[in-house]
Amino acid sequence: MTAAPAIEAQGLTITRSGATVINDASFVINRGDYVGMVGPNGGGKTTLLQALLGVIPAAGGSIRLFGRDKKTFSDWERIAYVAQDAINFDASFPLTVRELTGLGRITRDRLGRPLRQEDWHAVDEALGLMEMDDLADRRIGRLSGGQKQRVFVAKALVRDPEVLLLDEPVTGVDADTQKRFYKKLSDLNASHGLTIVIVSHDLAAVFCRMSKVMCVNRDVYIADITDDLEPNEILREVYGDHFHFVFHRHECTGVFADE
Amino acid sequence: MSSLTLLDLPRLLGYQFFQHALIGGLITALVCAWVGFFLILRRETMIGDGIAHTAFGGIALGLLLHVNPLLTAWVVSTLAVVTIAYMRRKGIAHSDAAIAVMLAIGFSGGLIIISLAGGFNVELFSYLFGSILTIDQTDLVIVSGLGVAAALFLGIFYKELLSITFDEEAARLMGIPVTPLSVGFHILVATTITLSIKVIGIILVVALIVLPGLTALQLDLSFRRTTMAAVGVGLLSMFLGISLSAVYDVATSGVIVFTAAGLFLFAALYRRLS
Repeated sequence: MTAAPAIEAQGLTITRSGATVINDASFVINRGDYVGMVGPNGGGKTTLLQALLGVIPAAGGSIRLFGRDKKTFSDWERIAYVAQDAINFDASFPLTVRELTGLGRITRDRLGRPLRQEDWHAVDEALGLMEMDDLADRRIGRLSGGQKQRVFVAKALVRDPEVLLLDEPVTGVDADTQKRFYKKLSDLNASHGLTIVIVSHDLAAVFCRMSKVMCVNRDVYIADITDDLEPNEILREVYGDHFHFVFHRHECTGVFADE
Repeated sequence: MSSLTLLDLPRLLGYQFFQHALIGGLITALVCAWVGFFLILRRETMIGDGIAHTAFGGIALGLLLHVNPLLTAWVVSTLAVVTIAYMRRKGIAHSDAAIAVMLAIGFSGGLIIISLAGGFNVELFSYLFGSILTIDQTDLVIVSGLGVAAALFLGIFYKELLSITFDEEAARLMGIPVTPLSVGFHILVATTITLSIKVIGIILVVALIVLPGLTALQLDLSFRRTTMAAVGVGLLSMFLGISLSAVYDVATSGVIVFTAAGLFLFAALYRRLS
């Protein structure tokens, strides 16, 4: 018997203040998928992610998480989320990289109990994975944009999730750092089987790196990224007919500085 | 002017009134510094000042009803802090406006009670400016009880409160019960203010809440160490303040606050120069 998909939406409609933000969306995200979510600003990407997390109720349709209806799903530790504005915190906040990552180990069933040795081991492991172990004792306000992203991903990873939802984590970060970040996520996806859904405006990274593309602009289209996929066909569904994305698959080789 | 010197301090420690003052003062300083540090990070320090002034109404009520004023002050402060949180959450008023409203209601309520009852002006004065050297056994039991409860709450939910303080939305998504813990924290603020009234007085309580945390923040440490430094500064200010005021016979609450302010200035200068 095959495992149920990580996320499954059927006829999902989401409204906010009476306006339809997501209209009748149906899609499946399998375990181990690496999904790039693209679409214009205001198209409903963040709203869709928040609906998957149960923050926003659906006006219609259903969401299933690991085969369970979202209404009865309670295993939220299996899903971790990094918000769009996570790195825009008060730089003077007195918190070190290690302390912030440790906060990721708080779970519903262990409220009010101190972190144990094994929790701190998990923290150090997550920081190691994100290559942040050297900066563990640094105050988070002194990190660069790219380092901040990696700490927040480490804070999400330390929960040992099966699904990682990332909402535009590379906004305001230079191109090289972005590329290294996507590479890191690719490695996690490949080595740990982590299901990743990432909102991104970097179409080259999506089509070179990821296994699925999800286009969101009120309507939702999802497609496997294969050699046969013509990016413009699906992108025009959300960006409009005038949109043209120049992309040649062979250009993926060498796109990333470390390859 | 007192004829005592600092060399008389060991002898003062033998007096029961001085022991009561030190125990009550140190418990208060510890909890104020710890709670105050969270309030600074939450940018809610004025809630401390507002609630202290609201507690004035509770003090007057206690004196009128012949109930221990600290208990009535605690009830009124708790009601005020929960109301402020409710007004904020429901969008009735922003934090500063909600604090101002409760401050005005509590303080004017106190004035009405005083004018109706009359006759306890002198006793009220001690609550306005603190009278740590007159702390009796009952006060000490109340201060210790509230102090232990406050320290337990902070100690147990330390990391959850930190998580909420850093990013409330993220904490909610992680499954942390943000609303109950925030209500609990605000009741803790009311408790802390109440136990500080006898020690430092309604007018100056905000200093005990803000100065230790602010001093510790100048040192650029981790969260854990900043918390410890804040508590240390609070305890040191209290010990030095009580001792110096007893030796030189000057207003205790004033000396405590001046000592705390001096430590803050020292830390701020150290940061500038280092």
